[in-house]
Order: sequence, then C-alpha cells, then structure tokens
Amino acid sequence: MFTKYKLLFLLPGLLVLMAIILFPLGFTIRVSFSSWDVIQPGLDWIGGNNYARMIADSRFWEALQRLSFISVASVLAQYVLGFSLALMVWNQVRMKRFIRVLFLIPMMTTPVIMSVIWRTVFHESLGPANDLMNLIGIGPVAWLSTETMALVSVLIVEIWQWTPFMFLLLLAGLLSLPKEPFLAAAIDGAGPIRTFFNVTFPMMSAISVGAIIIRLIEASKIMDTVYVLTSGGPGSATETSSYYIYIRGLRDFQIGYSAALSITYLVIMIIALTVIAKVLSRLVTEK
Amino acid sequence: MASIDLKNIAHSYDPTAKDPIFALQPFNLHWEDGGTYALLGPSGCGKSTMLNIMSGLLTPSHGQLLVDNKDVTHLPTTQRNIAQVFQFPVIYKSKTIYENLAFPLRCIKMNKHDIDRRVKEVADLLNLTNILSKSANSVSADTKQLISVGRGLVRENVSAILMDEPLTVIDPQLKFELRRKLKEISARYGHTLIYVTHDQNEAMTLADQVVVMDKGQIMQMGSPEELFENPSHMHVGYFIGSPAMNFMNCRLSDQGIHIDDHFVPMELEGIADSAALNMGVRPEYVSFSDTPVANSVPAEIVEVQNLGKYAIATAKFGNQRVKARLSGKSKLPSGATNLVLHKEHMRLYVDGHLYSAS
Repeated sequence: MFTKYKLLFLLPGLLVLMAIILFPLGFTIRVSFSSWDVIQPGLDWIGGNNYARMIADSRFWEALQRLSFISVASVLAQYVLGFSLALMVWNQVRMKRFIRVLFLIPMMTTPVIMSVIWRTVFHESLGPANDLMNLIGIGPVAWLSTETMALVSVLIVEIWQWTPFMFLLLLAGLLSLPKEPFLAAAIDGAGPIRTFFNVTFPMMSAISVGAIIIRLIEASKIMDTVYVLTSGGPGSATETSSYYIYIRGLRDFQIGYSAALSITYLVIMIIALTVIAKVLSRLVTEK
Repeated sequence: MASIDLKNIAHSYDPTAKDPIFALQPFNLHWEDGGTYALLGPSGCGKSTMLNIMSGLLTPSHGQLLVDNKDVTHLPTTQRNIAQVFQFPVIYKSKTIYENLAFPLRCIKMNKHDIDRRVKEVADLLNLTNILSKSANSVSADTKQLISVGRGLVRENVSAILMDEPLTVIDPQLKFELRRKLKEISARYGHTLIYVTHDQNEAMTLADQVVVMDKGQIMQMGSPEELFENPSHMHVGYFIGSPAMNFMNCRLSDQGIHIDDHFVPMELEGIADSAALNMGVRPEYVSFSDTPVANSVPAEIVEVQNLGKYAIATAKFGNQRVKARLSGKSKLPSGATNLVLHKEHMRLYVDGHLYSAS
C-alpha cells in the first residue's frame, strides 16, 4: 500500500530524470550506430562503422591529447597562482572583501564575451598585447596565427578566467585552518618556508585535491574559449575534443559519427577523472 | 637556559580604548635560570596571557621583557628560542612521531646524528620509543599530548620551557607519572620551567616557586610552604589549601582582637578603625578538646565529613564557622566541644592583606 504511494510521489521526479538524462543518453548511443547525416537523416543500422572510423581518425585523438595537455597545464598553473595569491592576502584583513569581489569578475563574465575581449587584446596589429610586447622590446608576437602561440593564448585566457576560482577556494581553506599548529611552528623555530611546507601545505592537501578535481572536470569541457578565440586554428592546432565533436556534429551535420565521438569521449572522461580523483585522494589520506 | 625578567609588564587587548581593561596589571617578575615555577590561578586570571608574552605570541602593551638582560620585547617568536606546550595537543599531522619530535631540531639545523640521539632520548623519557615510526595523527589524544610535550623538551638550549596546563587532557594515572618525570627532566637538564595550572596540587608538587594570580594581578610569589603558612592575601588563603583557609570576621579592641567573644591578645599598630579585619587560620591547625583549655572557645560541631584518610569537621561558635582538618585516625568530635585556636598559626588580614607588624 505504502510502497505504491511512495512510487507515485517519486514518479514525476523519475520521469524528469528519464527525460533529461536517460533518454538522451540512450538515444545518443543508438544514433552512434546509425549513419544519420545531413543527406540521409534517419535511424538506420550500420553496426560499429562509426567507431571503426573514429579509431582511424587521428584528428580526434590529437584533440584528446591536446585537451589533456590544456586541462592539466592550465589547472596546475591556476593552482600555483591561486595558492600564491591566497597566501598573499590571507593575513591581510583589510581590503579582503574588495579583493574577493574583484577576483570574481573573470568568473562571472560570460565566456564568449570574455573571449571576444581577449581576441581583441591578442589582435596582431590593433591589440594592446603586442603594444606591450613592443614596449618591453620583444616585438610583435603572432598570438593567434602560429600553432604554439595560439595554444599559449588559449592557456592564458583559461588561466586568467579560472585562477580566481582556485584563489577563492584556497583562501576559504586557509581561513578555516586552526591557528595552533602555526603557533607551535613559530615556537619550534620554523621560518616561513619551513612552516609552509610542514604545516600549511599538508593541512591544505584535502582542499587542494578537491579544488583540482573540480577544475579538471570543468577544464575538460573547454569549448567556448577555443571557439571564439581561435576556432580551433590555425589548422587544428587548438582543437579540443568537445570543439571537434561540435565541428563534426553541428557544422558538418554528421550526427551519427559525432554521437559515436561523444560516447567515446564520455567514457574516456569518466574513466580518466575517476582514476585521477582516486589517486589524488589516496595521496591525501595516506599522509 | 637563561634568566627572564619581566619589567613593568602590563597587557591590555585594547590599549587605545578610553578606559583600557587590563588582562594583566603592571608587574615585575624575575625568573631565575634553572628554576621551576608554577603560575597558579583561576581561569581568566591572566596566566596564559603572561605565558604568551614570554613566548612572543603576544606583544605586551606596556613594559619590557628581558632574557639574560637582553630586551626581547619585540623579537618574533621564531627567534626567541623558547619552547611552549599548549593545553591541547598540537602535532604536525602529516609527519611521523619521530619527525614531530625532530622538527624543532631540524629548524636549528642540528646534524642528523645529534637529532637522532636527542629524539631517542626524549622518546625514551616519554615512553614513545616503540611507536616512533607511527603517524602522529593515528595515536590517542594522550599520546598526541606526549608528543607536544616531547617537542617542548627536545631542544637542550632553550631559554625556558613554558607549559600551559599541558596535563589537562591526560588521564589521571599518567598525569601523576608525567608530573614526576617533568620534575626529573627539569632537574636533570636545568631547564627554566614555567608551568601554568589551575590545580594547586600540580603547582605545589612541581614547582620550587609558585606565583598565585587573580584578575590580572600577581597576589603572591613564594615557595609552596610560604604560600601555605603565610598567604599574603585572603585570596591566596582561599585558593591554596584544601579545604581553604578559615576566615573569621573580627574587630579591633584594646591590646588585641575580638572574634565574637573570644579575645586574642595581639600587639597592633597603624590599623584604621574603618578597616575590615579577618582572622585566618588553616583547617590543619584547628583542633578540638573535650575540656576547656588555653586559647579554646566553646563551640558546636555542625557537620563532619569523613573522607577516609582524613575528616573535615565544621564547628560553629557565635556567628563564625570554622573548618578543621582532622586525621582519620583521631576520634571524631560531635555535639558541644571546645575549639582550640593556636595563636601562632593565626594570621590577621586588614582589608584583605596580611598584617605584619612594621
């Protein structure tokens, strides 16, 4: 009797869940076994052809490698920068609120708008970035038109946008640390560097791992920055997985193939991030 | 090791206020090199504030702190070479017990061989030898506090070891043992040990000199015996001794003092008529007699508490209540009896302060 009522009350939630998660997932899997494209839309059955094509598609695997590089490099840089900034303002009580608001701005800006601004900044003849380079005597840099520099530009924008997030998270962590170990370290005669490595850093390890994992998940979805800033170019030098899937699916309308790419990407991400999270949290608990 | 002088030290947490409240009233103190001292007083009396001033965690709002006659008032904690153990265990969680103990030595860049020797010595004293390689975070609160104490003891050349009620979290059995060990260690190495506590037994057993504090003021500094025999202030009489010193209201009369109808002849001078007078006597020095004797006063027993080894009897005469501490073997008094007050053990307090003939 009660079981029936319970199910009845749960039903709306379950239905919504089905509609927004399970159905699209199932449908995508089904689509990935079809040859649905702009010429022949429809759910035919071509078996694993899409997957076979994907394995041979070096552009997809290169995009995946690039994505790994971009996420790991940018998250590490964000962590180091964010931690340094947090340490700098940690003990300074005045202005703390102002600084926090200031740091929130990059995070609150819409990625597309922000990328447009950065594209202007990086503009080779009109952008202020090259003016600055001229000033310090390096001369104009081809920010967006050479392979390495385009990748660097994407990294710069990523780091600029997400360092504040790290900063805020780590600052909150620092502020929640107990005072006593620091007093004890001072009494034991430890200088600032020793105190950092023996007291601050070990106590921050749990929150650091949390912050890094959250950022890695976020960073692996990078797409809008690339889209606006470089459109994956020059060539395919800054293409990331999600951007490549977007090209295949929504520009070339190879729905079936892009579904196969999406599913593969999802599986790889789930496995990779789970392993990373496990390894990192084991590092912390073992200490 | 060093001697420490506190000169006109006072501390207010808000010295710029119009009418600053002082956590520590101005005082002077001298800690001798190698002495064992206890700071005794109720919670909030300024003991910890004084300790933090010495370790540099707090800069006093007034006065000077001298270590071996050098002014260190504004020197940061790191450079003071002082050890301090807190009330609650503070350990470096990510390190092993060995590394915890070695940490202060690594900070002074001692060589590996000497570090190993010192750590093992201290671990041996505190019975930590068998668990040195364990993670400091994985042991019980007792052991964690032992580690904290060990970190305080591991440096040989510190100016002083400050301990802020370090045995509070340790269970009673071990507490007794540790107290003995601390005394032994400080005697062996000649450390200047300053020990904060609100437990008078701890203070009396551990220290050569006890400083009694109340409300930010130093009431008395002296040996345990002195504090017991001649409390300089009624507060000290109350605070030291179990049960506390008896205080009886009394009034001035020609050539002596009247406690109700009982007359105590005394030569007194310079006492204002308006002064509040109290006669103090330790319960240990009060006895009873079945028949009237010299210095006795008829009294009635109100209550007897037998605590096994000893008994506490409360007697009443006139408006006064007097407690006596009697050995458990003696015959316990009851009903009407005679209270014997020994004159040589009676102390007169004028407005709370011990009267002494000038």
